[in-house]
Amino acid sequence: MNWLNDNVNLLTLIGAAAIIILTVGVAGKYIKQMKTDKATGELTGDNWDGIGEYSNELPYGWSLAYVGTIVWGLWYFFMGYPLATFSQIGQYNDEVKDYTARFESKWANPDKETLMGMGEGVFLVQCAPCHGITGDGMGGKAADLTTWGSEEHIVNIVLKGSKGQGYALGEMPAGLLDKASATAVAAYIVQDLAKSGKSKHPELVAQGKALWATCGACHGMDGKGMGGSAPALVDYGKAQFVVDVLNRGKLGTIGQMPKFNDGRLTNIQKRAVGTYVDSLSSEE
Amino acid sequence: MFHWLEKNPFFFAVGVFLVIAYAGIVTILPDFMESARPLKGTKPYTVLQIAGRQVYIQNGCNTCHSQLIRPFKSETDRYGKYSLSGEYAYDRPFLWGSRRIGPDLHRVGNYRTTDWHENHMLNPAAVVPGSVMPKYPFLFKKNIDLDTAYAEAETVKKVFDVPYDKPGMPKLGTFAQAKKAVFADAGKIVAGMKNQDVKDAYKNGNIKEIVALIAYMNGLK
Repeated sequence: MNWLNDNVNLLTLIGAAAIIILTVGVAGKYIKQMKTDKATGELTGDNWDGIGEYSNELPYGWSLAYVGTIVWGLWYFFMGYPLATFSQIGQYNDEVKDYTARFESKWANPDKETLMGMGEGVFLVQCAPCHGITGDGMGGKAADLTTWGSEEHIVNIVLKGSKGQGYALGEMPAGLLDKASATAVAAYIVQDLAKSGKSKHPELVAQGKALWATCGACHGMDGKGMGGSAPALVDYGKAQFVVDVLNRGKLGTIGQMPKFNDGRLTNIQKRAVGTYVDSLSSEE
Repeated sequence: MFHWLEKNPFFFAVGVFLVIAYAGIVTILPDFMESARPLKGTKPYTVLQIAGRQVYIQNGCNTCHSQLIRPFKSETDRYGKYSLSGEYAYDRPFLWGSRRIGPDLHRVGNYRTTDWHENHMLNPAAVVPGSVMPKYPFLFKKNIDLDTAYAEAETVKKVFDVPYDKPGMPKLGTFAQAKKAVFADAGKIVAGMKNQDVKDAYKNGNIKEIVALIAYMNGLK
């Protein structure tokens, strides 16, 4: 009888035995009562199709339970679990607040690997529908992010202009420089200004620097964007620049990119996307 | 009185109905009245958007796409802010949908753009690999039904007092005025499109269904 050593089994058996004994006892009592009892007492005047009603006092226990339930109900509505304190939206807000707090503390100082993983996840959901899973812009349906940050890309922007970011200094018109000058400026930006890599045309850097005045009128002579009035080109080719585009949207020559500043992405996630996008191009 | 009610089941039923109906009215109606009012920024659809909405209904988009974002973090992360009932005040009928074979579209205007819709409607799988959505090339061929769209706007204005032509609200005016406004609205959409046939048709005074549909989608915010 090994299984009787288990407390749960023992309790269950005792409970089962109690239920059987009580059932038999109570049922026996009432069956006996039905056989021997005679109905006695004073009837009320009501008579429904031959069925009468005894004029009995309310059982004391019943009245107590009735009043008790009402008292408990009032307590429940107004104190125990007040209706006014619950709402579906409130519950949602709490959930989001908790989640955001946990998210921010968990990823307060993400390492590069974390940013890449997070960035890829967000990219696949939010960016891939236009830029493609590999970020290649799906044959010209959106900007090709695998070449983003390169000198060719800068030349392209100088020739075609850049719109829709809503900077205070307005939009960048197309054709401020011809192709040769644009190539030189691109070399200067990549190598000296943003320091995002080695230029393919190091001999043009000095010439690009001389031509920079045209660009510096808006982007600032130091390339820092005159305190947020124009894109900061010192960040070009880096994660921070992508974060700017995510916040501001863009109206390129291909099509319009919506803003992602409606709370769908946290700051950490934006940085992660920036890191990931940056990695797409630097792998080349 | 209760004895009398107990002996008259019909009037007893009437009494029960009255008590429960009263409780229902005082608890449900005030909240319902408040939440069914349009939100402060909610505006009725322009005639071009109505035409697009009719295309949406015609093609049964609501069979696969919902327009209702529930207040769960998983949904608001993907689709944007949860929906409020007042936002549907001018939806007749509402297009909440009942299942999501495709994604929710209630705020699609916030994260998809004209050129994306153009690529996507022509061949969804070219933009979203593995998409099961059918192609809709015929939307680029058929003209919108401007008369019906105007009629709908005019009807809801007269019957349901939808605030067209009120300060800060879309203009409706006469059919000629509305037609002019529709062409102006469509021009903005067409400018963002690449399809030459649609552009040519617009120049010749025809608006294709795709233009109206995109106008409607861009307006869903």
